[in-house]
Amino acid sequence: MREDLLWVEKYRPKKIADVIGNEEAKAAFIEWLKNTRRTKKALLLYGPPGVGKTTLVNAAANEFGFRVVEMNASDTRSEKAINRVAGPATAFAALDTFTTESKGNVLFMDEVDGIAGNEDRGGVSTILRIIEDSRIPVIMAANDPDLEKLRPLKKVSALVRFHQVRIPMIIALLQKVCQREHVKAEFEALERIAENSRGDVRSAINDLQSLAETTKTLTLQDTVVLSARNRDVGMDETLREYFSVKSLLGASKLLSYLSVDYDDLLMAVGDNLPLRYTDPEDLAAAYDFVSRADMFRGRIGVENWHLLRYFFNSLAQAAAVSPESYQPFTLISPPIRVITLFWTKGKRTILDAICGKIGRRCHVSRATAKTDFIPFLKILLANQKADEVVSWFEFQPEEVEFLAKMSRL
Amino acid sequence: MVVLNKKAFKLPFMEREKFLLLMRLGLNYDKPSGTFCLKNFNNIEKLADTLAEILKVDEVTFTQTCAVCGKDFGCSDCKYLELCATKNLPFQCVCSECLREGKTFEDVG
Repeated sequence: MREDLLWVEKYRPKKIADVIGNEEAKAAFIEWLKNTRRTKKALLLYGPPGVGKTTLVNAAANEFGFRVVEMNASDTRSEKAINRVAGPATAFAALDTFTTESKGNVLFMDEVDGIAGNEDRGGVSTILRIIEDSRIPVIMAANDPDLEKLRPLKKVSALVRFHQVRIPMIIALLQKVCQREHVKAEFEALERIAENSRGDVRSAINDLQSLAETTKTLTLQDTVVLSARNRDVGMDETLREYFSVKSLLGASKLLSYLSVDYDDLLMAVGDNLPLRYTDPEDLAAAYDFVSRADMFRGRIGVENWHLLRYFFNSLAQAAAVSPESYQPFTLISPPIRVITLFWTKGKRTILDAICGKIGRRCHVSRATAKTDFIPFLKILLANQKADEVVSWFEFQPEEVEFLAKMSRL
Repeated sequence: MVVLNKKAFKLPFMEREKFLLLMRLGLNYDKPSGTFCLKNFNNIEKLADTLAEILKVDEVTFTQTCAVCGKDFGCSDCKYLELCATKNLPFQCVCSECLREGKTFEDVG
């Protein structure tokens, strides 16, 4: 076994019995899987992250000889994509069931609550159709089953609830991992890791590995960093810490514990950079890194989260252009763009209403109304030749006043 | 808090409606021994609330089975009780003795 392997992967259960906690959920899952006369063709496993939903499916497949055809959040799950992967897998019994030990396929759709946005359009209705026509078991997993969009899936699925794994169970598991990895750990340190994980086994093992990387004797003192990670830090404090970092490593660490919205942070960093760097060359270099971060944020979108480290890396470099030049300054927060949007909301609402009226009368979109009609209306109003037009569009006095003000600008 | 043995526990005499409600919520009644046991866990929270009402106590929990030594134990004196988000289900945990002695699961990975 490779030594540099993540411990979560290294100690991922291969058998159902190795999946800790959720005994009742495991029993219900096995009963459903073994039952050849299922009343519901699909099974929805739901519960918080890191409690063993995906692991249980893979362990069961390993034990019972099923092959898992998996689609998870990293795949685009539009109608076309689901049909391409799940269609053939569910429409026919696998050919190799006649020649090998395999018991056929199981379709596993992980994180179905993450099906969202334009890219996944039609996803839920396609899954419903797949379930209807499927000749193989369909298993889904979700963190939040109460979402409105999942209601149709819940109707056609048997539901199995997973709970958080209890702290003593996590401690016992961590003790076992420590034994295997020859890490000496104080009981209190493991206790702290387990408490911080909030029932998430995966994060507990990750925390243990990250802490044990620097020391082979883990003490309670070493776990202080965990509470720093879990505290809910606001934008102001994040910015203050971000701009006062002493090194690139410090900036990277800070960003890895981030608890603010990435887009808001990016905007706020952009606004505050001129206050942070007074030397034009430093400022230019920092803006260069921020623009790179912005580019990666665009590429990440809603699904390419594997690019997040490049986003963090660029942002960390922007903070560490010249750590020695730091002087305390008054932060601009919230971001200027957000403040501007707040102040201009009233104006935007009126303009939107005007464009809507133009659109209805002239059968054009609001965007076209804004670009192709508003400039001419402004000219007509400036020359006081717009009375007929105003009554035809049925503009209100405040809308006429707004357009008149616009024409004076 | 009252800890009930999930395999067999006795309850005071109750009216018919309450008895039927308990059966519907997942209890089983063994007439010869006069004991109740859990047969279904789907309504465990509602069941615990109903039992607390019948027993006139603030909270009812069921015994846990230790995943390491197999012993049944109550969680009334567990030091993590306040942090535990799942007081009843699952019925498996690790008892304080095993935890203190550093006994762990037989197999991990």
